[in-house]
Amino acid sequence: MAASISGYTFSSVCYHSANSNSDHEGFLLGEVRQEETVSISDTQISSAELLQVVEIHNHDPCAQLFSFYDYAGKVSEENLSSILKDRRKNVIGWYRFRRNTQQQMSFREQIIHKQLTQLLGVPDLVFLLFSFISTANSSTHALEYVLFRPNRRYNQRITLSIPNLGNTSQQEYKVSSVPNTSLNYAKVIKEHGAEFFDKDGVMKDIRTIFQVYSALQDKVQAVCGEVEQSERVKEKIQEDVNKLKQQIALRKRKTAEEERRLREAQNADSHSTPEENTEPSEASLLSRITFHAPSAPERPSTSPNPPSYADLSTQDDSLPSSSSPPTSAALLPRPQAVGSPGHPTPGPLGMGLGLGLGLGLGLGASSNPVTTPSTPYLGNGDGSSSDSLDRQAAGQEDDEDDEDDDDDEDEDSSEYENLVSETTHLPTVVASVLAQGRPAALSPDGDARGSQTT
Amino acid sequence: MAVSAVHLESDAFLVCMNHALSTEKEEVMGLCIGEVEITRIVHIHSVIILRRSDKRKDRVEISPEQLSAASTEAERLADMTGRPMRVVGWYHSHPHITVWPSHVDVRTQAMYQMLDQCFVGLIFSCFIEDKNTKTGRVLYTCFQSVQAQKGSEYERVEIPIHVVPREAIGKVCLESAVELPRILCQEEQDTYRKIHSLAHLDPVTKIHNGSVFTKNLCSQMSAVSGPLLQWLEDRLEQNKQSIVELQQEKERLLQELAAL
Repeated sequence: MAASISGYTFSSVCYHSANSNSDHEGFLLGEVRQEETVSISDTQISSAELLQVVEIHNHDPCAQLFSFYDYAGKVSEENLSSILKDRRKNVIGWYRFRRNTQQQMSFREQIIHKQLTQLLGVPDLVFLLFSFISTANSSTHALEYVLFRPNRRYNQRITLSIPNLGNTSQQEYKVSSVPNTSLNYAKVIKEHGAEFFDKDGVMKDIRTIFQVYSALQDKVQAVCGEVEQSERVKEKIQEDVNKLKQQIALRKRKTAEEERRLREAQNADSHSTPEENTEPSEASLLSRITFHAPSAPERPSTSPNPPSYADLSTQDDSLPSSSSPPTSAALLPRPQAVGSPGHPTPGPLGMGLGLGLGLGLGLGASSNPVTTPSTPYLGNGDGSSSDSLDRQAAGQEDDEDDEDDDDDEDEDSSEYENLVSETTHLPTVVASVLAQGRPAALSPDGDARGSQTT
Repeated sequence: MAVSAVHLESDAFLVCMNHALSTEKEEVMGLCIGEVEITRIVHIHSVIILRRSDKRKDRVEISPEQLSAASTEAERLADMTGRPMRVVGWYHSHPHITVWPSHVDVRTQAMYQMLDQCFVGLIFSCFIEDKNTKTGRVLYTCFQSVQAQKGSEYERVEIPIHVVPREAIGKVCLESAVELPRILCQEEQDTYRKIHSLAHLDPVTKIHNGSVFTKNLCSQMSAVSGPLLQWLEDRLEQNKQSIVELQQEKERLLQELAAL
């Protein structure tokens, strides 16, 4: 079995992937043909082999993740139809782009693939996996790609070739003629060969083929002009949409602020200061979360430190209200992919090829032993990048919560030695765990993490 | 170090990829146009595809005429965008070869750095396949050259490179992309003209040469012009779709804003 994709389609997938801060996926449109190759060998007269050729013509990128399936991996037929429309009959596969992950189908991808096979009615649906890795200093990047046929038992990987110009073979021009003294030869080829040339001595074929090329290039130029116009129109409307979203978010924030002030004025002021600091951000967080509704995370809603959290809720009322951490944990945005365009990876973290997760774990464990129980989080179960946790654990996040964390961490490192004997210190330690567990949720909306959830 | 990092706009990245994947039998090359910011970050806005006069392996050198033409192009881009643009680097491809620059590449880069210490080099390695795992690979790297401590040889210095997202493809990048078939045809015409001027060829040889020209042009049309046209049409279709959806979203947001 052979598969091919045009260089332009391949580059286009790379382009869309480079533009997304998170994973990127889409559908592959094309055609599967059966080619018969006849071979003659010494042992048999002729043997016809049926070669299946998968030709990927085009790709249909999905605007966002989870657009046709949910967190349980259940594919929605309705959403699928509305995305594909009449291109549905041309779908021969789908693709996914992820950063710093293994070249293997994740569990969720496998179950989605099974459902797509059934829903689209393509028995040999293919899956193209792109995996992106970078060196620690981001000077060299690699994009690996594998084409899978998951519905087959054997030979699940197929070689994907990119047809190209190959050899321009300008060496095939002859600079001299084979010497020949025969007068008959010269006479015959001159007389009958004259058919090929026009009155200027130029070969007719040259002019003809050049006309074909010219017409084609003119067409390319014309369509390019149309594409350029459509890009500008799209850009403009996108800008308008972004501005409107900002205005709406601003308006909602103001309304929330006003409501909060009203509530505060009405209630007796018995809350301690830390809670006042966290509440406004939570209120605005919740309003932001409801605005970016489609993107809920796949992390379980259990808190990072279940036993101590249960203790916490009975022990200390002064900590942030017990109802909020599970909610915010459940609404954590998707992890930020390392190596994404807007966020150059800092070198010392050592995001070496394939080592990101392991190192992150190690660093996290050493800087704050209390966060080790959170390691079950690191696998998202679908093979997607989860490097934001690594960066969080290593203290690389540069958002405003670091200021809150620092105080807690200082307390934590001094209290930790006394942890075994003095249970009264537990709340402070857990508070730092909770605070560390929350940074991603409380990050400012203006940066890429916020936008990736839309 | 003169350059701290390189930011490559994703539409320029797209053109580089298109160019690198256009042929696996020879190295292609081009120039990068952009600006160097005060933070010593080189920002590449677009690329220009170049013709290779010397097609020998690993002879990726840019002639003074090409540099001059590129500078003119940079000025045109500067006028269009209203920003100071100039030639800030070069890129070339390594089909079937490792992404690291060869000694010749490092030396060539060092030469360019003598004229402009912020000049950067990009290499795209493609058509790599691991036969065991059936994994294909495309790599890209950014480098500069520095004099080695011992002797007069040059060494590679790694420069961080990041692809900066750009949702819409810029006009200049689109124009660069459609230049490729034109450049290929020009190369073919120039070669043919030289051959055609040879007077002592007999008619059969002339017919042969004419057929080679026809064959090569057909090859270019089916391998480059055709897929390029198809991609442009698909992109146009996608854009039209996006515009409709964005328009609907805009309407919805306007209503939401009015309701608040």
